[in-house]
Amino acid sequence: MHPLKKNRPLRRIVLASAVTASGLVLLLALKPHTTPAIAVAPAPASSNSGTGSGGSSTTGTKTVTGDTAQTQWGPVQVKITVKSGKLTDVTVLQSPSENPRDQEINSYALPELKSEALAAQSASIDTVSGATYTSDGYRQSLQSALDSAGL
Amino acid sequence: MTTVYERRAAPPVAPAPRRSPAGAVLGLLWAGAAASVALWWADTGSVVGAAGWLTGAGRLAGLLCGYACAVLVGLMARVPLLERRIGSDRVARWHAMAGRYTVCLLVAHVVFILLGYAAQDRASIVHETVTVVLDYPDMLKATFGAVILFAVGITSARAARRKLSYEFWYYVHLLTYVAVFLSFFHQLSLGEQFSGRAGATDAWYALYLGVAALVLWYRILAPVRLNLRHRLRVESVHREAPGVYSVVVRGRRVHELGAEAGQFFRWRFFGEGMGWTSTPYSLSAPPRRDLLRITVKALGDHSAAIALLRPGARVWAEGPYGSMTAQRSSGQRSLLIAAGVGITPLRALFETLPGEVTLLYRARTAQDLALGAELEAIAQWRGAKVLYALNGPKGQRPSLGVRALREAVPDLAGHDVYICGPHAFAQELYGALSAAGVPDRRIHHESFEL
Repeated sequence: MHPLKKNRPLRRIVLASAVTASGLVLLLALKPHTTPAIAVAPAPASSNSGTGSGGSSTTGTKTVTGDTAQTQWGPVQVKITVKSGKLTDVTVLQSPSENPRDQEINSYALPELKSEALAAQSASIDTVSGATYTSDGYRQSLQSALDSAGL
Repeated sequence: MTTVYERRAAPPVAPAPRRSPAGAVLGLLWAGAAASVALWWADTGSVVGAAGWLTGAGRLAGLLCGYACAVLVGLMARVPLLERRIGSDRVARWHAMAGRYTVCLLVAHVVFILLGYAAQDRASIVHETVTVVLDYPDMLKATFGAVILFAVGITSARAARRKLSYEFWYYVHLLTYVAVFLSFFHQLSLGEQFSGRAGATDAWYALYLGVAALVLWYRILAPVRLNLRHRLRVESVHREAPGVYSVVVRGRRVHELGAEAGQFFRWRFFGEGMGWTSTPYSLSAPPRRDLLRITVKALGDHSAAIALLRPGARVWAEGPYGSMTAQRSSGQRSLLIAAGVGITPLRALFETLPGEVTLLYRARTAQDLALGAELEAIAQWRGAKVLYALNGPKGQRPSLGVRALREAVPDLAGHDVYICGPHAFAQELYGALSAAGVPDRRIHHESFEL
């Protein structure tokens, strides 16, 4: 269009908005809308619910798998390592990860929760903001593991 | 009125018409946008529920917004290909249009992401906003960036521009660089499309660093080099008409810059009342050995101070810019239409355009005609015609409608027409020329109206 032609900005704005909005909706609509099957990592070490399972307890080191805690966004399960009566490691076996947002939350919340747990040597740890449900599930699973380990 | 230059001895030679790379550049820019969308497409598995739709829309808007920010800065990096081949005015219009669009994308990004996250967390929108801004990595910086971009958008809106001084608008606009820098980091640290994808991250870095390099080179280093090399100083100042002054600038080997008739430089004069912002003024004569000349009408503070410049004053220039040159000409006949001080670039073209040239010069009175003696001399020398459109004795405006133009210029539709004057004047003429059958591609005009 020639720059000297009297243009109609309103018309152009409406057109651009309409095209953008329909483009966005179209792209989103073309994606599947069902939750893909959750790839749950098979809980190792025969996680007997409730009791937790004692791993190798040689040289005073043992690993205990906690209960699976169901949260709004999926299951959370942790495994703890106890050495000479001290909590030395927390590994996450399951956490909500079916959508990108969950992965994003996990990437910052899980390390935070772990360091809190190791510092507190208990399951009385603070909720990580933005990860309320994951924090709740983490506490539950961790508590059950600590109970089984007798800590 | 002073004739400073001798006329050229050799008759002008027609340059080979070159195709504007505008189409190719636009295609490239759109391809980049498509690639940004493709990043999202490749990374997104499913869109589940209201939260999924909202977050997805927010991500897409954010990706496009991030891409558009790079494009916006790139368009204004004063790249010669854009400034001289496509035209500074046209690129500035692209920038303005894309800028408005980018601010809309930014709003969409912020609103949709916050709504989506709030829906996912079943949290209130206020709570979610606080969490996202304060707790997410790099989000505090990005929030500042967004606020600056909004401010830039608001101060650039037409209604605001009329009320704000150029300087204020300019300095707020400069903050865009800060805003883009601040918001860059959250794109990579939170952008789902970039986490764990080295290729995407590298491409994003390449885009932003590439644009930064363009800005650094063409906005900073190239002007520094130009001014160090050519050492420009005011040679003399001449009064051409009431309130209209010519400034002759001397610089070592300044003709080697390759500036053409019809182009302009952005000038900073170091003198009283000049300020720090640069102002674009067209060359009012083709460059001569070591000399450039501009002609300026005292309209604002800056242009009024021009009259007071002393010989020897230092000058800082950036350019040449502009694409309204002989390269635009597609035929053998040209009509140049100037209004008032719009004569400046056309005076230069009047001397250099090849073929048959007619100049139509609109002014209020004969006194207001600047550079008149020069124009007559050039007309005589090359056998060209100068027509004047002056107000009548009672102040009535001359008609520049279809009929009047056709009568004044036989075979009007067969001409390339170059227009320079106030926007309303140019628009009026454009209407008349179109009605007279001059095709759009032969109506050449440079306008900084966005």
